[in-house]
Amino acid sequence: MMRVLRTIPYTLIRMSRDYITLLLLLVVPIILITIFYFVLGDMKNQYGDLAFYDTAQLMTLVFQLFGGSIVIAYIQDDLFSARRQRILVAPMSLPLYALSISLCGMFFSIFLGFLLVLFTGVGLNVEWGNVFWVMYIIALLAVLSSLVSLILIFSVKNIKLAERLSDVYGIGCVVLAGLFFPIPDYPVITFINEYLNPLLLAANAISYAQSNLFSDAYIYMFRLGIGIVITFIIVYVLGRRKI
Amino acid sequence: MTVFHYVLKRSIANKTSLLILFLFPVVAIFLPSGEYWPHLPYGYQYFGIFILFISLKLSGLILEDRMRGIAKKLSIAPISHFSYLAQNLLAYFLILVLQCLILVYGGVFFGKELYQPFWLLILFLTFSMASIAFALMWISFFRNKEISMLIFMSMISVIALIGGVLIPIELLPEVLQKVAITLPTFWLAWGIDWIIFGGEVKEFLLVNGMLILYMFLFLIIGSVKKLH
Repeated sequence: MMRVLRTIPYTLIRMSRDYITLLLLLVVPIILITIFYFVLGDMKNQYGDLAFYDTAQLMTLVFQLFGGSIVIAYIQDDLFSARRQRILVAPMSLPLYALSISLCGMFFSIFLGFLLVLFTGVGLNVEWGNVFWVMYIIALLAVLSSLVSLILIFSVKNIKLAERLSDVYGIGCVVLAGLFFPIPDYPVITFINEYLNPLLLAANAISYAQSNLFSDAYIYMFRLGIGIVITFIIVYVLGRRKI
Repeated sequence: MTVFHYVLKRSIANKTSLLILFLFPVVAIFLPSGEYWPHLPYGYQYFGIFILFISLKLSGLILEDRMRGIAKKLSIAPISHFSYLAQNLLAYFLILVLQCLILVYGGVFFGKELYQPFWLLILFLTFSMASIAFALMWISFFRNKEISMLIFMSMISVIALIGGVLIPIELLPEVLQKVAITLPTFWLAWGIDWIIFGGEVKEFLLVNGMLILYMFLFLIIGSVKKLH
């Protein structure tokens, strides 16, 4: 236990020096959101708020969906390929180490989300509402995405395929939410967006809380929570077999 | 044409790549149309981004050759660097031509409103040439396929946005509009506008000429012989 705890600072240092992840999950969203800041300008949405606020919030949440790629990369490197033999002979518990990497990955993803909230909130004056609630929802989303990535890496043998599938998960959520192009109103798609699409669940939880409709916000948060519980059970079952 | 033959084989040998290469244009045909913008259906508007990604994925073969030392072996084999590159690029171009044909004439077959399908095909083809050359230049900066792809992804999302493919260019602030002229995607977006609204033939020639000019520029930078 203590030995695993001692690896955590090093895991965090490794993650913070992973410049490509930082570029993809921090610099790119900052650039994109800034461009949208100029593009949308003073445009209003149908409720009379700035349209840019919705876009900035959605973009921040979208990049949380891809946070799972951090967990995939580290679990793959440390437990399945490059360093597997070395980690196996290290005098520490393998499942605990896997848990610590996953938690660090989730924490790092949440931290990047926090930086984005900070940037949009302070730099671009986006109204987020209660920051603690927002961070809580972002944390739920990050945990869910990481769990989905864990399911993929435990159930698919080919690592390349697992990475592509996690991209499919992220991009699929974005497409279903109708951010690229309007999605037709089939009952199936409406159902998915209302109950399953984590991106919209998180966005709704935040926007309802902003307009003080906490009963609705709790419902969406609750649905996210159920998603986490279900994926966690699957990860637990699969992970016990793999590690 | 042995290299050409084998590059073609390697590009489509794998089932997943074959699926990606030919499923996406088919899916793109059936994407819905926008209400006010874009004027072409979404699949056609976004196809330029798809072409960029596919050309990078395809030209990954050259990078793989360099990394695995095949480029070194080729340099002592009786084949010139020019011939090797030309046959590679020709094979990639052939695949992209097929995709553009599927997309444009599939759309015509299913009765999509494409205004001037033939000129759209020509525009996509010149853009494919420019984007293959761009991919060739891009991989010459990297020694790792994954890293080149990831950085490419982040760059493409920005230049697609500024270049006027994802949103109309008139919405951008003026400074960015001026920056956009330097991007190939700007010319693609302009070409698409020409196809929809019509105009002088000179304008269309200018757009294609610029794309071909870009192709030569990228080719000159990218075709430097590299032995690691």
